[in-house]
Amino acid sequence: MTDRIQLLKDQMWNRVHHAARMQLDDALPLCYRAPDMPDVLRTANRLKQSLEMEQPYLFEGELIAFTRTVPNLPMIFDKAEWDEICQNHFIHEMGNVSNLSPDYGKVIASGLLAVRDQLGAQMEHEAMRISIDAVVNLTSRYEKAAREAGMADVADVLAHVPAQPARTFREALQSLRVLHYAMWCEGDYHNTLGRFDQYMWPYLRADLANGTETQESAFELLEAFFLACNRDSDLYPGMQQGDNGQSMVLGGMTPDGQDGYNLLSEMCLKASAELRLIDPKINLRVSAQTPLEAFELGTQLTKLGLGFPQYENDDVAIPALEKLGYATPDARNYAMAACWEFIIPGRGMEIPNIGALPMANLVDEAIRTKLAGCRSMDELKQHIRDDLFATVRQIISERHDLYVIPSPYLSMFFDNCVEEARDISLGSTYNNWGLHGTGLAPAADMLAAVEQAVFGENLPVQTLLDAMEANFHGYEALHHHLKTECPKMGNDQDAADQHASWLLHTFSEAVQGLRNERGGIVRAGTGSAMFYIFHANELGATADGREKGVPLPANYAPSLNLKLNGPVSLIKSFTKPDLAEVINGGPLTIEFSDSVFTQPESITKVAQLVRLFVLRGGHQLQLNTVNRDRLLDAQKHPENHRNLIVRVWGWSGYFVELDKVYQDHIIRRAELNL
Amino acid sequence: MSTGVVFDIKEFAVFDGPGIRTTVFVKGCPLRCQWCHNPEGLRKEPQLMVSRAACTHCGACDAACSHPAVCNACGACVTACRGSLRKIVGERWQAENLAAKLQKDADVYALSGGGVTFSGGEPLMQWPFVKDVFSRLSGVHKAIETSAYASDEVFADAMACCDLIMMDWKVSDPELHRHFTGVDQAPIRRHAQMLAAGDTPFILRMPIIPGVNDNPAHFETAAQLVSGAKALQCVELLPYQRAAGAKYEMVGMEYQPEFADAQTPQMFTDCFEKAGIPYKVYR
Repeated sequence: MTDRIQLLKDQMWNRVHHAARMQLDDALPLCYRAPDMPDVLRTANRLKQSLEMEQPYLFEGELIAFTRTVPNLPMIFDKAEWDEICQNHFIHEMGNVSNLSPDYGKVIASGLLAVRDQLGAQMEHEAMRISIDAVVNLTSRYEKAAREAGMADVADVLAHVPAQPARTFREALQSLRVLHYAMWCEGDYHNTLGRFDQYMWPYLRADLANGTETQESAFELLEAFFLACNRDSDLYPGMQQGDNGQSMVLGGMTPDGQDGYNLLSEMCLKASAELRLIDPKINLRVSAQTPLEAFELGTQLTKLGLGFPQYENDDVAIPALEKLGYATPDARNYAMAACWEFIIPGRGMEIPNIGALPMANLVDEAIRTKLAGCRSMDELKQHIRDDLFATVRQIISERHDLYVIPSPYLSMFFDNCVEEARDISLGSTYNNWGLHGTGLAPAADMLAAVEQAVFGENLPVQTLLDAMEANFHGYEALHHHLKTECPKMGNDQDAADQHASWLLHTFSEAVQGLRNERGGIVRAGTGSAMFYIFHANELGATADGREKGVPLPANYAPSLNLKLNGPVSLIKSFTKPDLAEVINGGPLTIEFSDSVFTQPESITKVAQLVRLFVLRGGHQLQLNTVNRDRLLDAQKHPENHRNLIVRVWGWSGYFVELDKVYQDHIIRRAELNL
Repeated sequence: MSTGVVFDIKEFAVFDGPGIRTTVFVKGCPLRCQWCHNPEGLRKEPQLMVSRAACTHCGACDAACSHPAVCNACGACVTACRGSLRKIVGERWQAENLAAKLQKDADVYALSGGGVTFSGGEPLMQWPFVKDVFSRLSGVHKAIETSAYASDEVFADAMACCDLIMMDWKVSDPELHRHFTGVDQAPIRRHAQMLAAGDTPFILRMPIIPGVNDNPAHFETAAQLVSGAKALQCVELLPYQRAAGAKYEMVGMEYQPEFADAQTPQMFTDCFEKAGIPYKVYR
């Protein structure tokens, strides 16, 4: 790390720039809320007001500028207006455009003014023009401030981008910083940096070839950009601190079928390892062809406990996306949403987390209400299949008359929005929805326990139900039997794993042929997001021997009350289902004790384990390195552990900034680590 | 068909040889090293292990017990415990079944240059069983972690069967050896010499215990033992970890080390460097 990067990091870490932040005045004139102003213009005018209020703030030693000084402004509607909209519409999350991958590369290359030249008189274009002018004006003020501060190099870059096409790697980084910054200021969130190493590589390659940058100087710029991504992250909305969607995707196949892993991909992995910060969160696209060295580089990050990279397997994902109807170049160009949903940069207004299928709850309900009348497993499974189909259809049918708050600024980064004067909130080339699936492993374990105990060993159904009702009090021997002697998903036992395969296949069948109101399809997935907390609260004790109150696993992971055989069995179990059928996303999560990494050879061994997952047809994998004692100490003495990073569900955050329920879940996972 | 008692099977054992490996811990050991961190591996028979820290003293275990005078590891209290705080360590396996379980992951071992390791306890104490399992594995790299305390015949047989032997060299002074491990050093020294003269790849492992063997003479003796050994891969130094005593109470034993277990052991690796002997330190 250069002295300059250290200086920038120290300022960020000590929150020096927070002193420049404004407190919003309640009497703030909300000019963008004029009653007769259409929503699309309101968004543009709010962005304008927000950026006009911004005061340029420059770090000492600044390389890549732009820092927030204005917290998010109040929304574009007053309460009465918003209540009325909510009454008549389905509102997803906070109502904003989220979880998309804007095509930043396109605008970095063209410059904002080239976009502005295409705008006409339509209202949508007017809104885009207001937005562009606001961004360009703030950039000019930053340029002036930089020049006055004697930072001629920063000023020179800002004099050119993002208004004009970027000509160098530095200009491209600065342009991206401004463009991404303004996205947050528009009120959008969880929108990612996408395939950073693909759209930035041409600038770096040219700079290295013509001597504008050396690898060392380019690395410093890259680190400065990464640092800039962390400055304002506490202002970003999310379920929890750190859940901000500032992810990037490295490597993977290019739209024309080449291997996209390049020098910049490698530099990003190294910068992330050196800086040890939660942003940007790294996804690494891999395949059977990926050399072990790339996995080893990724494992170096895992070892640091950053919770990333998260791996995506091209061999599974690309054909699966093609099968869902994505054009081949788009399927090859996939990126990740804020967590792990597969999305297409610049061409998708997809909502990959519109709901969640509670698989454990469905199976539990069938056991409680239908098992007594079933003569075989097949009958029970038929009931579950019917319930699952009905639940999926209900979730989708409840989501109609979707309203998304317009985002004229963000629209410029999506295909045809400028050409057709259309707002991205109304849709794009791909308008698919995705459903998470929570509690898969406990659901499979319940079925395996019922199959063995009830149908194999003649346990009376009523006894099972009574034991569950009593939370197994007075049924200790049965509890022990269900919990430790019946097959479990994660132990490479077909008797449990086959039920998981069946559940996921059934889930994929249930969404087949469904259309949402925008003509998009519905995708099934293995993710959980925060639903693993919600859905567990609705459950009592379950047939797999899980006591009431034990949380469900996050994402695609084994039950939490088991000590399993180990990571090899785990990977074998979790690669049995046909994961191409559930390509909405949701990673297998493996927790390692940090003691695994005390020897250097462990890097190679863990890398080989990741590669094993890829070769066996796994779709997505994230690894956490934790130390349980350290986590417990951090709960007691958070002040000593400000930099302790953990993977939560699809993102990495600072442990001490999480709510206790999420902290406890991570500690529980750590107790079972491999 | 032979059988053996196994107290743990650990997948992805990263410190027990090359690549992705599964380590089988067989139960029973002739040594009583004062720093042993696997006390549940000492006795040959299955036995009860209790985690007492979270016990609420509800009495369910006592109520379930039909022979309170002497535990016979029947397991009745294990199922009775609501907190899942009890378990029977030690399970009798048939060689055929264990081999089938291990063979299942042969593809994983092959992919990573890994294999199967037998540890313990002392794997040579149940050598016919271990050998039987090994003979049923095909295309799998085979290793043992051993104290090398065995008959010469058994040790020679193990050298012929294994692809890698990880052998401990614990204490160089014969008197102290007997005091701290409970057994005669002579066969162990002989077997180290057999390895040094032989073709079977081997690693010499040295637990470094504060005040017991963290002295230059011990390191020099070890260096002399392996100097010139053509099949030596590495000397591995394992500094004593204070957590070693954690499991004693769980198996009804007391941890009573006669050494200053709070001290950090010292390393004297110059002799390895001078002799060009590869070594590494585990932390």
